[in-house]
Amino acid sequence: MAYTRKDVGKLTREERRRFVNALLTIKRRGEYDDFVRTHIRYFTADGENGLRPAHMAPSFLPWHRKFLLELERALRRVDSSVTVPYWDWTSDRTARSAPWSEDLLGGTGRRSDQQVTTGPFAYAHGNWTLKEGVTDGAFLTRDLGRSHDPIQLPTKSELEWALTDPVYDVAPWDSTVTKGFRNKLEGWGTGRGSASWLNHNRVHRWIGGVMLGAASVNDPVFWLHHAFIDLQWTRWQRRHRGARYLPATPPGPGNAQHGRILARHQKLPPWDVTPDELEDMSRIYRYA
Amino acid sequence: MVGGTGGARVETGTGTSPARTATTRTSTTATSTGTTAGSTRRQVTRRLLASAAVAVMAPLVGASRPARPVAGTWDGPGDTAFEEIYRGRLIRVTWTHRSGGAGPGEWHVTVDDRPLHLMRRADGTWLSVVDHYQSYRTPLEAARGAVDELGPGQRLRDLAPGPVGDELRRLHMGGAHSGVHA
Ligand SMILES: [Cu+2]
Repeated sequence: MAYTRKDVGKLTREERRRFVNALLTIKRRGEYDDFVRTHIRYFTADGENGLRPAHMAPSFLPWHRKFLLELERALRRVDSSVTVPYWDWTSDRTARSAPWSEDLLGGTGRRSDQQVTTGPFAYAHGNWTLKEGVTDGAFLTRDLGRSHDPIQLPTKSELEWALTDPVYDVAPWDSTVTKGFRNKLEGWGTGRGSASWLNHNRVHRWIGGVMLGAASVNDPVFWLHHAFIDLQWTRWQRRHRGARYLPATPPGPGNAQHGRILARHQKLPPWDVTPDELEDMSRIYRYA
Repeated sequence: MVGGTGGARVETGTGTSPARTATTRTSTTATSTGTTAGSTRRQVTRRLLASAAVAVMAPLVGASRPARPVAGTWDGPGDTAFEEIYRGRLIRVTWTHRSGGAGPGEWHVTVDDRPLHLMRRADGTWLSVVDHYQSYRTPLEAARGAVDELGPGQRLRDLAPGPVGDELRRLHMGGAHSGVHA
């Protein structure tokens, strides 16, 4: 029986409470920090050598899909009623929107040091001390909207621009491609500055603080953001019937991307699952 | 190209610097890359010129102090360095030539003496561990971008042994990520 992932704005008070409680529980048990580490470990950039499982590659979507499933499974071991909600940032566009409420994620950071001081993940409550970070700071940080130089969340039409592309991804399968649904959604643009941060990447920027860095998973909004990204994959499939994950087969030995990206039937480290096996989630969860 | 090694591809852009003013940007006349100093300094000058980075850096060198030798960090003959105070933080960029044919070399960047891990993008731009979702034209710009996003009072984590230290150190030094290959 498939479970349902809901719009964060439609959760009941009780659903919000249970979601937060499950997160705090796995954090207390040390499980949460494993997720933070995993995300740090599998971020390989495309100008470096080595396999890129999580970003700047076709497997951006299935890797994060599996990552979300693992988190969700950990949460559901605590409370089987919990699922990961999604945050539709094309609709909930301000620092006062649904995710940022006092009983869910709390709000933006304070001006002096970006420290989040509201909501259940505020450092002062003692339940959300960062262990795995790129800085010494032990508290969650945010700067919603990037106060020093404001930017906007991606719009519906920016997202639509990604969804209309009928091809999943194109060679050379990295952050430089200007065609293909995957990178249009992941959001590696060309050029500099604001115009070069698209969709997924732009949302990380809009949130700021720890969401900008290698340890972005430290902010629980990571999951709500990636659930919405994951939903776009499902929407894209529905719109382009028969379109599949690409590449279907690995680039050959003479190809510069040989050994650096994952094809449809290759396992996504650190897990024992392939993109092919993750294309259809309808028996596990659905989006409401 | 740095030293002709195919190193940091620093593109000569329009020279637009981050709009943010460096708090210590007091002089607009100094061109630290163009004046005389010790041999190390000249070496830096040469390399920066060679890298065509001057157009990018010149608007900002007012905020920089001339690079100077730092004990223990760049004593090799092929090493270069650049440092500046940017928004109250000491950024130091060093280029270390490898010996023994282990590749051309690598960049190391520190902010307030703590290593800032950089990654290379396929288009030749740079990302830092602080700012994973945007890339910059040069290691120095990536370091400034990281400083921009570091909250006041926040320091980069010292890569001490421990879970995160281990992960970041592995990124920083180990495996395929041995520093930032150029
Ligand atoms: Cu993300």
